[in-house]
Amino acid sequence: MPISGREPLLQVSGLSAGYGKIGVLNGIDLTVGKGEIVALLGPNGAGKSTLLKAVSGLLPRTGKVTFAGRDMSTTSPRDAVNAGLVHVVEGHRVFTQLTVHENVMLAGYGMARRELAGRVEEALAFFPEIAEKRNDRAVTLSGGQQQMLAVTQGLVRHPKLLMLDEPSAGLSPVLVDRVLAAAARLRDAGTAVLLVEQLIEKALNLADRVYALARGTIVLEATTDEPDLPNRLEHAYFGQDVSAPLA
Amino acid sequence: MTDTAAPISQPKAPAGWLGRLEGSAWWIVLGLAGLLLPLLEDSYIGVIAQRAYIYWVLSAGLNLVVGYAGQIAIGWVSMLTLGAYTTAALAAGRVGPEWHPFLALAAGGVMGAVAGVVVGLPALRLRTFYFAMTTLGFSTIVTQVALAWKDVTGGGVGTPGPVFPWPFDPGWGFYYFCFFLAALATWMTANIGASRYGRALVAIRDAEVAAEASGVSKARLLILVFMLAGALGGVAGGLFASLQSYITPDAFTFEMSVLFFIAILIGGRGSILGPALATIILTALPEFAAPLVQWSTFLYATLLLVIVLVIPGGIADLLDFRNRRPLEKHREIVTRPELLARVLDRHSEKNTLSMTGIELHFGGVRAIDGLDLEVRSGEVHGLIGPNGSGKTTALNVLSGYYKPHAGEARLNGAVLPFLEAHTRADRRIARTFQTPRIVGGASVLDNVMIGGTIFGQATFSETLLSLPRHRRDEAHLREAALLALATVGLEQLAAVRADRLQHSELRFMEIARALMLRPAFLMLDEPAAGLSAEEIRRLGALIVAISRSGTGVLLIEHHADLIFDICDRVTVLNLGKKLAAGTPAEIRSHREVVSAYLGA
Amino acid sequence: MFQSIVSYGLAVGAVYALIGITYNVMYSASRVFSFTAGMLGMLGGVLGALFIHKWGMNAVLGFVLVLGCGALMGLVTEILTVRPVLKSIEQHLYVLSTLAFALMIQQVTAIEWGTEAQPFPVLIPIETGTVSAWLDQKFLLPLLACAVTIAGLEYLYRRTLIGRAFLAIAEDSYAARALGLPETRLRLASYAIAGIIGTLAGFTGAQMLLAYFGNQAILSFYGFVPVALGGMGSNRGAVIGGLALGLFQQAANFLVGGIFAAVAVFAVFIVVLLIRPEGLAGAATARRV
Repeated sequence: MPISGREPLLQVSGLSAGYGKIGVLNGIDLTVGKGEIVALLGPNGAGKSTLLKAVSGLLPRTGKVTFAGRDMSTTSPRDAVNAGLVHVVEGHRVFTQLTVHENVMLAGYGMARRELAGRVEEALAFFPEIAEKRNDRAVTLSGGQQQMLAVTQGLVRHPKLLMLDEPSAGLSPVLVDRVLAAAARLRDAGTAVLLVEQLIEKALNLADRVYALARGTIVLEATTDEPDLPNRLEHAYFGQDVSAPLA
Repeated sequence: MTDTAAPISQPKAPAGWLGRLEGSAWWIVLGLAGLLLPLLEDSYIGVIAQRAYIYWVLSAGLNLVVGYAGQIAIGWVSMLTLGAYTTAALAAGRVGPEWHPFLALAAGGVMGAVAGVVVGLPALRLRTFYFAMTTLGFSTIVTQVALAWKDVTGGGVGTPGPVFPWPFDPGWGFYYFCFFLAALATWMTANIGASRYGRALVAIRDAEVAAEASGVSKARLLILVFMLAGALGGVAGGLFASLQSYITPDAFTFEMSVLFFIAILIGGRGSILGPALATIILTALPEFAAPLVQWSTFLYATLLLVIVLVIPGGIADLLDFRNRRPLEKHREIVTRPELLARVLDRHSEKNTLSMTGIELHFGGVRAIDGLDLEVRSGEVHGLIGPNGSGKTTALNVLSGYYKPHAGEARLNGAVLPFLEAHTRADRRIARTFQTPRIVGGASVLDNVMIGGTIFGQATFSETLLSLPRHRRDEAHLREAALLALATVGLEQLAAVRADRLQHSELRFMEIARALMLRPAFLMLDEPAAGLSAEEIRRLGALIVAISRSGTGVLLIEHHADLIFDICDRVTVLNLGKKLAAGTPAEIRSHREVVSAYLGA
Repeated sequence: MFQSIVSYGLAVGAVYALIGITYNVMYSASRVFSFTAGMLGMLGGVLGALFIHKWGMNAVLGFVLVLGCGALMGLVTEILTVRPVLKSIEQHLYVLSTLAFALMIQQVTAIEWGTEAQPFPVLIPIETGTVSAWLDQKFLLPLLACAVTIAGLEYLYRRTLIGRAFLAIAEDSYAARALGLPETRLRLASYAIAGIIGTLAGFTGAQMLLAYFGNQAILSFYGFVPVALGGMGSNRGAVIGGLALGLFQQAANFLVGGIFAAVAVFAVFIVVLLIRPEGLAGAATARRV
């Protein structure tokens, strides 16, 4: 099993979660080191988004979550954010009735006024296309622009770990590259990224390590420089080494 | 349906002969107590009993609105007020000539029925709070009018109530009149409650979209129930006016509404005996605890708060011992596709269900962006794509929940209307849901029977009076539901409360419910999610068998192996657009599909 | 007559509008319509009369204390009747829990304060009405309160970050939680604000409506009509709807009698709900299956 050489930032062990009666995750173990990009891959319905929600506290969970040396197993999303664990949820859920600028400001709610103003500008600088529309209400943005706005919100607090849930969904290829490039810049600045992504090729190009999730369990863990990774992933996806083979 | 008698193990009847007696024992005791009460010769107790009967006449109808349909009608005392003043004013000749008291009472019922429908109108399309507010507002208005319209109501001074002639004259004669009407109200509402109408009401409450998909017309059904509940409230009002002998607006306090309401909540939603007992107890309680009278409304309100916060299911839920018995732990779903010949009509004709040029956006987000799709009889058509690619949205357009901004849907060339989901059942288009939409508190059998609602022939009034056609309906639906359950392998669980089932079992239960329609087209939304590998294999075989008997199947699924295994054709969506379409083999080798869907 | 229709109508309309805003403020923070709005209005009048008239408190002190009680009531409402049922909001249990709490308070009022309407003291010791009937303080105070409230809320929602946080939670509480907004604290704050606005309405309107426990039911309904007319969550809509309702009611009272006024208001309410459920000014929202 490949072990990250870096100092661990997020450590998850024995994590289970679900929606009401429906259990989705089963005893997940996962680690993200400081300043690395980890891709979380897997077929639709495998539980990737659920895993992020369970880590950030948006869903009730059992198991252990340690972040930056702190036990975060039972904390609220707000505690997570304050500790530097920021989760950009899937589906570009920005506040459509507020302006772009207000949306970004809210991401720093509770910060000192002057500091916040600087952080907002800094975050907006990542996506000039969004910054241009700072005084437009978010409802006027396209789906892709809303997604960029959501990522912008995630940058305001200078998180230690940014969890991005399908940031490429609904984006044209050019914009996908722009968003993922932002993730790379963050890594260079020392921020770790946990990335849920459907575009495997792009994810593998960007990430340092990869986990594959299928049917609520981790079925593969690897560093991205290992050979034959796409093939192994496909096997893990279709569960050939887990259940019945394809007809 | 053929008569090849494949053995279907009947579930142990939840209430056999003894069980039925157990169920009616309380009614027999109540009935006898009511009949024999006059022997006590205690007119004080007699008056309390009459008041309880009158309240129950109203609450029995309200129970269908609140307990069954789940509509929060908190101001139903207005029906009592309206019925009381109508009866009193007509009988006293304050409007035109004096009416005979019985005619005046009937008029009170009619007024109640009309008011019930008017007050209920917002419930047909609006959220719960609006309806609650409408009933509350109506009771405020009715009281204001009663105070202001002095010619008819006597204003604050009041007006005398009607006096019924012998044999129902004041005293024990009137007592038996009230008793009889309470018994009648009980019987009629129990008939409705145990019929397809009652099941549909509960389905509207707990699983509205599933009810619509089963062909339940919410508006029509609710209007009938509001009419019945209003009429019973109006009749209760006429009786109340007679019992009070003199009525003023003060007599109709809002606290009575609260009493009716909490009696139903305490008694338990979807029960009739429970609310009846609770009505009697709550009516009598303050009489025997004099110091409490002043505080009774406060106590009722506190009770209401406690019930809502602590036991929203009511006391009936607490006492439901039958459903505490543990179920067998390691249950296995053994489907029996061979029974399908008896479940489904043999569709030999070729049908097509199609969408062309569908576009739909939510705000600035394009959910579907020009989609064409065609499903044919006897085929399994797979619909796959990444999250958010518009699969379920497409299904919701096809089944009539959404209205697209462009494009149309057709069945055999005939245009399908949008936003009329309940009309799909008549066209034999059935579906299941990504998250099973079920009535948790009802038995599995009842849940499945909801699927056959459109095959019932008896009218609401026939059901009210339990006429033969209604009883035939019930027998047929029950038989068909057991067969459908046997087909999906759940017949052993027919009598179990649906919310005790495992998630995978609920998926099969939804399929059984959809099969009740004998569908020409069946649309399945991720039926394999949460199933074990073995269950998925059986599901696949069942779906294939369904399609081979002539039904067209549209299958949304994430399990690629299932899709490639059983589909005849596959359509791949990405970003609301068709990315590719073809046979499974073609799709597997499609480069773009592999990159969009498989991601590699 | 014209003068009294307009001045009384506008003043009562302002009270209705404020109660409508009370509904809106609670709704915006929690997607809950709380029946406590009418109760707050009733309490504003009763507590005001109790503190100032019965206990002889200074009017300003009494006023502040009443608003304080309103804020407290708002907090209790949130903690006791809203938070426990928010998880299963689709079951609409909040309708019952808030109604139950409102009825409890109403009953305590009826028993401790009495069921008779009692007079409310004149707050400003100069007899303003002598200058002109238009300037009677019992008509001016509710209008003033309404203007101050709407200006304050506009400032809060449009100019402050906390106000935008309220709006954010109203629109998408899940995303707001993910962003780390203190959802619970913000909701509590909203309920406290609603408590203040509701009691303000009752306090300033009590010289007209008196200190009467029965005002609760009337304000619950007539305060909701502006919300239905103006669209839920829209405070401007509530003000316009409230003033229009007050004028209409007074005009109908004078011209064709109280029966017609009551029935007509109810009929308009139902018709608007059926034809434009999103309110006359609101925008339709798509249904989600």
